[in-house]
Amino acid sequence: MIEKLKFFLRVTGNNLWQFRTRNLFSVTIICLSFLTVGIFLSLANNLRATARELSSNMSIAFYLDVKAAPETVEAIRQEIGRASFVDGIKLVSPDEALERFRSSFPELADIVAGLKTNPFPPALEVRVSARASASKEVVAFVQGMRKRPGITDVLFNQDWVEKMQAFSRLAGAVGAFLGGILILTSFFIISNVVKLNVFARKNEIEILRMVGGTNLFIRIPFWLEGITLGLLGSLLSLALLFLVISVFPVYLGTSLGALQELLRFRYPGLTQAVALLGGGAATGFIGSATSVSKFLKV
Amino acid sequence: MIELFHIWKQYQKPYWALSDVTLRINDGDFYFITGPSGSGKTTLLKTIFREILPTEGQILIHGVNILKVPDHRIYTLRRRMGIVFQDFRLMFHRTVFDNVAVPLQVIGVGRKEIRRRVFATLQKVNLHQKMWELPGRLSYGEQQRVAIARAVVNNPEIILADEPTGNLDPELAFEIVTLFKEFNKQGATVIIGSHDRELIRHFGDNILFLQKGHIVGKEAHA
Repeated sequence: MIEKLKFFLRVTGNNLWQFRTRNLFSVTIICLSFLTVGIFLSLANNLRATARELSSNMSIAFYLDVKAAPETVEAIRQEIGRASFVDGIKLVSPDEALERFRSSFPELADIVAGLKTNPFPPALEVRVSARASASKEVVAFVQGMRKRPGITDVLFNQDWVEKMQAFSRLAGAVGAFLGGILILTSFFIISNVVKLNVFARKNEIEILRMVGGTNLFIRIPFWLEGITLGLLGSLLSLALLFLVISVFPVYLGTSLGALQELLRFRYPGLTQAVALLGGGAATGFIGSATSVSKFLKV
Repeated sequence: MIELFHIWKQYQKPYWALSDVTLRINDGDFYFITGPSGSGKTTLLKTIFREILPTEGQILIHGVNILKVPDHRIYTLRRRMGIVFQDFRLMFHRTVFDNVAVPLQVIGVGRKEIRRRVFATLQKVNLHQKMWELPGRLSYGEQQRVAIARAVVNNPEIILADEPTGNLDPELAFEIVTLFKEFNKQGATVIIGSHDRELIRHFGDNILFLQKGHIVGKEAHA
């Protein structure tokens, strides 16, 4: 058994080397296909993670009418406090809001210094429990509160969360679509490369049949060849993906601003990396198996 | 024992490559099948090897009807036979050693044992000095001997050879058939398709004469 395995590996190695140019070509195509899938996977990972972060830190700011009486503010506060999803409420005065703005945007200090009046309204900042974030209950509550007298505006980052989630789904779908097409291309390329290899080794196959080689014995080196091509391609794509993820932020620097955070690629997890490699091997195997069974009448 | 019963083979109407061939070859026989080009020698050998199927008839090898053996089990039959084709069918990008080792590799013989048996077989055909050469660098006669070594390395019960001396000078042809005769003495049944009258006269224990697919004569000198 071990002897046979060694034999198959030796034959596969010899065959891969013998037709190295066309094999290199197919490895490149597989690599590019899986790199595309990997990039979109990474982007989707990032968007998903950002959406998760946003939803776990979700807060709602209820901006109050500057002229609202303290009793009205207190009534609103109590009403909000009764909602089951509320983790905490904080009243932010206009002075506090101005101070926050100053510390958050020091580069705009000149503008702030030139202000004659404080433009920030008082607000009630509500921390939403992570469990209930972006739930229908919260959305309905916020919509109800928008119309309440004493409240002028509501800032709710649920929109962002939804957008992130939608982008994440879109990136995943685009990745799946493009990747699907490219993987299908890889599949056909492997299939054709193996087909060419089968034709080129027709004489050898004939000899193997003649000396009593079984169908399996004849097919295994071709299968191994497909699997090796697929694995090499996906392994290379994974290495390139890590390189792209490492180099990308350095290359773009901070020029993207807030967008950089969104486009920041995250390294694929172990499961995803294994899935990419497995996908490569499977593409190679299916490509060669189809070709061998179709063109190798043994 | 190889038994052929009323074998007919037609590639294309209305010509018959083999017409009602009935033949019995005993274990350990040294058999020549002869006749002019197109007489059906190659077809008969390929039928015994089950490379082609006859249109009609039955072939029994040790009592087993080989035409009933399913395609995916045909290797069981091939492993008991060694075949030498006129065109050698060697792998020209592999060494002489690799070419001869193939029948042992398909049955999973260990590497050391393969080395030992391939070397011993190449010694018999006097090619052990060129074990690591590529067949393309060998002479025509040497390539023929590689093909013979491959056919016998597995100690087959039956050796089939189709025109193994075609295009060889008489001296080399004599040497090649002597080799077959030695394998026959060691117990293998040898069937050679040839039209070389000189060789047949010298070595032919059993001779089958074919013409246009018909058996036109048989001789047994043993």
